[in-house]
Amino acid sequence: MMTEQGFVLSALLQGAFICQVTNEEAWRFLKSNDNAQQLEPHLNLLNRTLSTTAEGEVFFASYLTIGEAERKVLTQQFQDTASNLIPLVEWLLLVQQASESDMPVTMGNAIRLNELQTTIEDTPAYAEQLEKISRYKMFGSTSVNLDGQLKQVFKRLTELGYLSKPNPDKQIYLATGKVEHLYEMIRFIDETEALSLSEQAEAAISQGSLL
Amino acid sequence: MSQVLIQAGTKLLNALGRHSDLIMQAYVNGTVKEQDYSAKVLEQLTQLGVLWRPDAQSELRLKSAVRTLLEGSLQDERNRTINANIGASLASLKTLAEHYKEALYHNKFNEAAAHMSDLTEHVYQLSESLSNSVRIMFSRINNEFGYVSSVDAKIRENELAQGQVTDLLSQLECFRFDELSEIAGSNRELRHLLVVSLQQRFSKAAQELSVVQARLLDLLGRFREFKGRTRLLKGYLLHMEQQPDFTPGNYANLTQVPVLFNQTASVIKPASVDVNSVEHEEAYHGMVASLSHIHKRHQHDHEDDKQQDIDMTEQSTVSLEKDPLQLAVEDYFCDVIDSGQPKTALSYYQEKSLTFDQEVWIYQVIGGYQALADQEKQFFALDAHGKNDPTYTGNFYINDITLGLR
Repeated sequence: MMTEQGFVLSALLQGAFICQVTNEEAWRFLKSNDNAQQLEPHLNLLNRTLSTTAEGEVFFASYLTIGEAERKVLTQQFQDTASNLIPLVEWLLLVQQASESDMPVTMGNAIRLNELQTTIEDTPAYAEQLEKISRYKMFGSTSVNLDGQLKQVFKRLTELGYLSKPNPDKQIYLATGKVEHLYEMIRFIDETEALSLSEQAEAAISQGSLL
Repeated sequence: MSQVLIQAGTKLLNALGRHSDLIMQAYVNGTVKEQDYSAKVLEQLTQLGVLWRPDAQSELRLKSAVRTLLEGSLQDERNRTINANIGASLASLKTLAEHYKEALYHNKFNEAAAHMSDLTEHVYQLSESLSNSVRIMFSRINNEFGYVSSVDAKIRENELAQGQVTDLLSQLECFRFDELSEIAGSNRELRHLLVVSLQQRFSKAAQELSVVQARLLDLLGRFREFKGRTRLLKGYLLHMEQQPDFTPGNYANLTQVPVLFNQTASVIKPASVDVNSVEHEEAYHGMVASLSHIHKRHQHDHEDDKQQDIDMTEQSTVSLEKDPLQLAVEDYFCDVIDSGQPKTALSYYQEKSLTFDQEVWIYQVIGGYQALADQEKQFFALDAHGKNDPTYTGNFYINDITLGLR
């Protein structure tokens, strides 16, 4: 039998993001400073350290020192992320616009697939957008009908850890902490590259552009 | 109270009961569909002050008093008006208290009792309206302004609510308990109403309102955060539309990799089976038993076999390589046949200077002889040279054997 510490440690070593949605017990465990400090030596042994994102609500393991091998892994990861950004952003906006409340998808949000599907089916613009999103390499859908496209997109997002499906029998998905991490990354890119994305969006809205 | 008033009240309530569906329709829709009801009924309700017509062209609406009654009793979310006019209520309280004291002073007890009941009514009304306002605020916060859909509208609603809270708080400042206690003087009943009861309500409302204010600010922050996120996403798409070849710099190559992009790869791989572990034997048995696809695959193989032709010619070319020892024995037999003379196995062994172990050689010769078919065996004679065991009878040691033709 593994202790709770062991479970959390193995989850971290698997490269998982631990948040309240995906793994509440581990999240609670890590929320306690004492527990986190007990884990630290184990992680350090494997050149890892505990890191948090989204204002301390999401935990993951990061490298302690970065050598050539680690840099290679990180570069690969970063390239994957950078190429996935557009499909993910388009998907986030689609879900936001198609949901009645027009609220951005945040950690813990429930997305009801059936409701979403109904809205998208009723709005040709959304259906077109979904088709475009599902064709990206990241999702790789070849389906011609909307149902298949939507299911494939959600399946891939669950595999990648952006969504979790608490009840396998129900088509209800919860956004995980990885979504928060995604926002943080976009914000970081925005600041580092001085893109002033918010201002661009603001200007476009005030000019009454297509957005 | 006069009998007439009671009768009129009963009549009004009866009218409300009789036309409840009409009233509820008006409450839900805002107006009455006049063509659906008889003019007489509408006229009667208008006279009773249940319905009214704001101006000549507009449709009949519910009187706000009836609407407030329904909203209060049904705990309806749509009730968003807040009566913040505490100053006026306080002023009327003071006036009534003065009336009461004057009546008492002149020993007009009937009048005093009437003033007292009026005053009580007013104080409780004020308390109720205070607690009602706070309740409305809380219900709005609890469903996060669910009655409007867009984030912008929520932000506006939040700002309105904040304004109302500020108003309420500034109205609460109108309470001057020193003045009230002065007015109440030494009168026990007045003191109870004006000081004790009001003060309790006041402190409770003030406390709750400060909680409301904090929560409202919190919510406003969240809504702003939502808007910020939306702008970020839209801005990113816009940017990518304008500069499709934009790629962010490779942050993993920086000397100080930002923690956001420093995510480790998985190091844990599944463990392997340890068949020597006795503890796990039972679990392994279970696993193997549940591996149904192995049996299936076997059946599959058999099906394949049936459809194949077996190539017989291949097999005929297969030849067995003989052991060198066996070949040597065959040569020995041939040698005896060729020469026609008996010869011992060991002398042949020395003649050909064979390299096998002597004992093995003798065994192989005996074996070779025994292996011959009965017909062939008749041509040969095999004599064993040796001696009996000195101690135990029945044991014969073979030193050599002679093979000859019969």
